[in-house]
Amino acid sequence: MEPVIGLNSSAIECTSVSTSAPIWQDVLAQAITGELLAAMNYKSLAEICDNAEEAADALEHAENEHGHAAAFAAEGRKIGVNVTSNVEGMHWKRLREAFLRCIAERDFIGCLIVQEIMLESFAVASYARVAKVGPGSLGKTFARIAAEEEEHVDHAMAILRAERSLDTQRFDDKVYRLHLDVMTTLAKMLAKECKDGHCEVCHGSCVKPSLFQVSLSAAQLRGASLQQYLKTLDMLGLPGEVTLAWVTQLPV
Amino acid sequence: MGHSVASVAVPGRTIEQVDFALIGHQESWKAAADVLAVLRGPEHTPLPDDEIKDILPWIPPRAVCHVEIGSIVSTKIGGAKFKSRGLYIDSFIPPDRLEAAYVHENLACVRRAAACAINAGAKIVSLGGFSSILIEGNFDQLPERHGTVFTTGNTLTVAFIVQGIKKMCALEGRELRRSTLLIVGATGDVGSGCARCLAPKVRRVLLNARNLERLRRLAAELEAGGVEVEVATDLRQFSAEADIVICAASLASPSLLLGRIALHAIVCDAGYPKNLSPGAQMPGAKVFFGGLGQITGGLSFAPDFHGILNRHPFPDVVHGCLLEGMALALEGRYEPFSQGRGSITREHVEEIETIAARHGIYLAPLYNAEGPVEDAVGCQTEWPGGLSAGARGQVELTPPDLLPRAF
Repeated sequence: MEPVIGLNSSAIECTSVSTSAPIWQDVLAQAITGELLAAMNYKSLAEICDNAEEAADALEHAENEHGHAAAFAAEGRKIGVNVTSNVEGMHWKRLREAFLRCIAERDFIGCLIVQEIMLESFAVASYARVAKVGPGSLGKTFARIAAEEEEHVDHAMAILRAERSLDTQRFDDKVYRLHLDVMTTLAKMLAKECKDGHCEVCHGSCVKPSLFQVSLSAAQLRGASLQQYLKTLDMLGLPGEVTLAWVTQLPV
Repeated sequence: MGHSVASVAVPGRTIEQVDFALIGHQESWKAAADVLAVLRGPEHTPLPDDEIKDILPWIPPRAVCHVEIGSIVSTKIGGAKFKSRGLYIDSFIPPDRLEAAYVHENLACVRRAAACAINAGAKIVSLGGFSSILIEGNFDQLPERHGTVFTTGNTLTVAFIVQGIKKMCALEGRELRRSTLLIVGATGDVGSGCARCLAPKVRRVLLNARNLERLRRLAAELEAGGVEVEVATDLRQFSAEADIVICAASLASPSLLLGRIALHAIVCDAGYPKNLSPGAQMPGAKVFFGGLGQITGGLSFAPDFHGILNRHPFPDVVHGCLLEGMALALEGRYEPFSQGRGSITREHVEEIETIAARHGIYLAPLYNAEGPVEDAVGCQTEWPGGLSAGARGQVELTPPDLLPRAF
């Protein structure tokens, strides 16, 4: 596992080490990994943008995601844990590969669908849940970053709606194809049990069974994420009965 | 294979054409599991029960399927039967949260479901089951509407309850005019509507509800018409035994005990969810589920939810509250027919049952938790104007059609 940039622990910043710190350590590790992956995705996206302004936007987003990762890392230091990330972790690696397939096809819209509709739905919803129960500044940081991620989504929605209006059937078919690829991986990540083995991000055994100790649960995070995903697809205009069928067919 | 957009869209159908929308929810986890199983498709194993309980509360209200209803009336040009198309929208209120404690979150679910109906361009929306209880009298709380009207559907529910009582009396050889009628949930929209329709036809009426003031107001209204009325907030307080009972309580009360009812009383459970548990201690009582109608002009779902969304042992049976919106759509009358708050009159009931019957929507064969309670063939229901259902063109149902569906 690679250490997140600027993760050197500072004794001065440590405010407390509670019994729940190892749980927050893993929650932060997943969040940091997701942010770093998003940063990598935006950098890749910048490389296929035809328009200089779009490329600059993508690079700016990449910087923002790096900033989020750093903010989460700082929260780890405050509670006295060394948070590591691993974008090569089983699930995250698959998600990155799915994004890179869109890059290889120079599919700008596909990239936005994966990053903004699917991955950001997961981030916004799960961060918001963590924000509700996270102690002190950790909770506030999750809330702030959830709000910022939501703004990203708003920005992308306008582009995606315009694209859908050009050829609805083609657009919806593309969303479905990407859904099968990306959301299947996310659903496995969010399943109550990791059936495919260790995720390679949690620092010890899987954190999911311990989440109840901090008033969270894997089921709650999955439910909130899929709800956010469905609502985002609704806003894009995809038929609700269709997207519901997609979601119910995901692995559990 | 999953559902791609193309595979769900119905060939030849303009998705934008939405005459009606039906807002509902599942009354049991089994029913919810069946809905999700259809959506998952036969190639996927059904979700385990614990997963269903984890997932369902998070599903935002949305359309689940397209619905098409046929009339028995033909168009003047071409002679084809009238059809009306719509959507079934599930509010995904979890079956174990149909209680007062969840009223605010459930109201939010219904509001979001209503927004789905409005966004879909539905001309009329029927509020099924708990949805109408939540919205009843609070139509101003619905999202801004653009040509969409809402109806609780309770008037047609009342019509079918009343018809069911009359039919059951006929089947059992009872005289309605010599009966004592007990209505549980009497001050609600459905309960008060039933009271207005049946009070003049029985010997005595017993009204039960939680609010004594409202009970007294309803009693005064009925007594003005010369009806003998007794009210009580506690079922044990009535001085007489009831021999006909209508359970129309607005909240889930499956453990309701009726107390003083006559041996062999006729009991109509009109609740959704059911007011009475299958094991309720009522020795000899003739229980049936009330408020249900049957479509004889054809009913189809896409995807196919037959027997899943309408879980009844007879084909094409649907709750009256949902049928009201469909009947009005077939009639081309897009108006908020039932507005709730106890405003259902006998005239309204006669009007809606006439409209429904004109399009081949009749009282469903009576049944209860154990199965059919009648030999449905040969039973005819009286309609306004003295015509029987058969005389109004009811499609004859052959015995195989009446066999219980496997579900």
